[in-house]
Amino acid sequence: MVVTYFTTSYRTTAMSYSLLYVDPDESTQTETAATLSDSLADLDPDISTAVSLAEATEALTVDLSVLITEYDLPDGTGFELIKKAQDVCPDAACILYTDADVSQLNTDDLHGAITEYVGKHSVFGDNRLTDLVRTSLTTTPHTDYPKPQTEAERLTALRSYALDDPKLVESLDRITDLAAAHFEVEIASINIIDDRSQEFLACHGAAEEWESMHREDSICTFTIVEDADVMTVADVAEDPRFASRSGSLIDMGIRSYMGASLVTASGLPIGTLCVYDNEVRSFSADDEAYLKDLATTAMNLIDAYARTPAMTDDGGAQ
Amino acid sequence: MSGSQDISYQFSDRLPIDPIEPGSTVMVAGPKFSPAEDLALSMVADAATHEEGMLFLSTNMTVERLLSACQQSQPGLEPSHVGVVDCTGQDIGDADSEAEVMYVSTQSDLTGMGMKFSSLYESLYQNHPDGRVRIGLVSLSSLVMYADLRDVFRFAQTISARIESAGGLGVFTIDPSMHDTQIVNTLKQVADGLVQVRDADADTSKTADGELQIKGFRNQSPDWQPFSL
Repeated sequence: MVVTYFTTSYRTTAMSYSLLYVDPDESTQTETAATLSDSLADLDPDISTAVSLAEATEALTVDLSVLITEYDLPDGTGFELIKKAQDVCPDAACILYTDADVSQLNTDDLHGAITEYVGKHSVFGDNRLTDLVRTSLTTTPHTDYPKPQTEAERLTALRSYALDDPKLVESLDRITDLAAAHFEVEIASINIIDDRSQEFLACHGAAEEWESMHREDSICTFTIVEDADVMTVADVAEDPRFASRSGSLIDMGIRSYMGASLVTASGLPIGTLCVYDNEVRSFSADDEAYLKDLATTAMNLIDAYARTPAMTDDGGAQ
Repeated sequence: MSGSQDISYQFSDRLPIDPIEPGSTVMVAGPKFSPAEDLALSMVADAATHEEGMLFLSTNMTVERLLSACQQSQPGLEPSHVGVVDCTGQDIGDADSEAEVMYVSTQSDLTGMGMKFSSLYESLYQNHPDGRVRIGLVSLSSLVMYADLRDVFRFAQTISARIESAGGLGVFTIDPSMHDTQIVNTLKQVADGLVQVRDADADTSKTADGELQIKGFRNQSPDWQPFSL
């Protein structure tokens, strides 16, 4: 049996927001940044500014929430910056806030990069920009993966558990051992789906070496939106949701997958129990039912370690 | 009629769909040669009788064909209330139409589509009372043929979010028979509700163009119901 302690002190963190606003016109920049700061005060965003492509590129970080940029920059274009942001911070929303005529811009090189547009001289002006930034921060519609309609409640529920307790992790590891043995696979894990990442809470086999995974690369983030609370993928290379990422998944030993959601008493999916095979494989209805039973057992254990046992995850007293 | 019905988007009596709340997106699903696309166009074109704007993202119909199809159900439809992002690749920029049109050369250019959609939406929003605009995306199936599923999902979700924040009504179409179940299930996530469409059965085919079933919205009948266009 493999027993792994989750030594990285796993904690889900409260939301924090960072914005980067790029505009070579410093007076417009100052005015707009002040408007954003005032209008979004309740979200307390960290707003940075830059005046050029080079300066903005330096300021890109993986945690960036929203990038707002003019099109014409002294040393390049806003589109060049957006392309760089796609690599550094793929979850960031990109907004072109510009004087430029949108019908004249060549967008051919930005295939797939969804960029919002707000005209600086729009009748909505800064209000429209503020609304768009707020929507981007609070509902993150620019992600390329679906989220449960109860995402906010789900994250609140997730934060109510003491998931870094070594005794809990040891017990969950045993469940991954059972799953791996039953399905005769080398790798199994219990995962938590946080705001932007998938964290490996308990592992069997090679999953012990895996680090936190970005949510857009996670298969499990699709499992938690399944009505049936269980999802199978016979071949990641043939599944249109994962085909574009299949190379890295196969390198991890994931050719086929079955996952069952960890669902709270209020019906909120906080994570998954998964088994992975390195060969193409289908799973039967009995397989799905067994994995769901194990997931229910795992969830019962997690429930026993709630940080706030006197409260249910919808905020009511038990 | 309740207050919420007053501000909800309403449909003609020919469509058995109760008013839908502002900010909602509906996925209309039906196979090729079913009346699904015509139903979606009709749901958007009903804007003409409520002083609302119409904005289409069209992947498979030119502006002329689109307006003609809408005028089948709404003969009084004024093109000046219509905006179109024409993604058919058939740029006829000098077309004689009062509709406000922007062209995108290829359906893989989701960036161009999104930005031109935003630009036209702002224009229609300011020109119609309370910014009421109905948006038709016809069709998602076509986009999936040209772009990666995940990119199309992100695109559709972004459009849906913009509709929600502006209090519009989104009507997206998909042909489930063209795609794997995973594709359909993924794209359905961007909508608040689903309207499934099928051909009318033998009993109703003389009086109806098809049948529809609504899922995901409260206060809507869950039964299959005949409709006429």
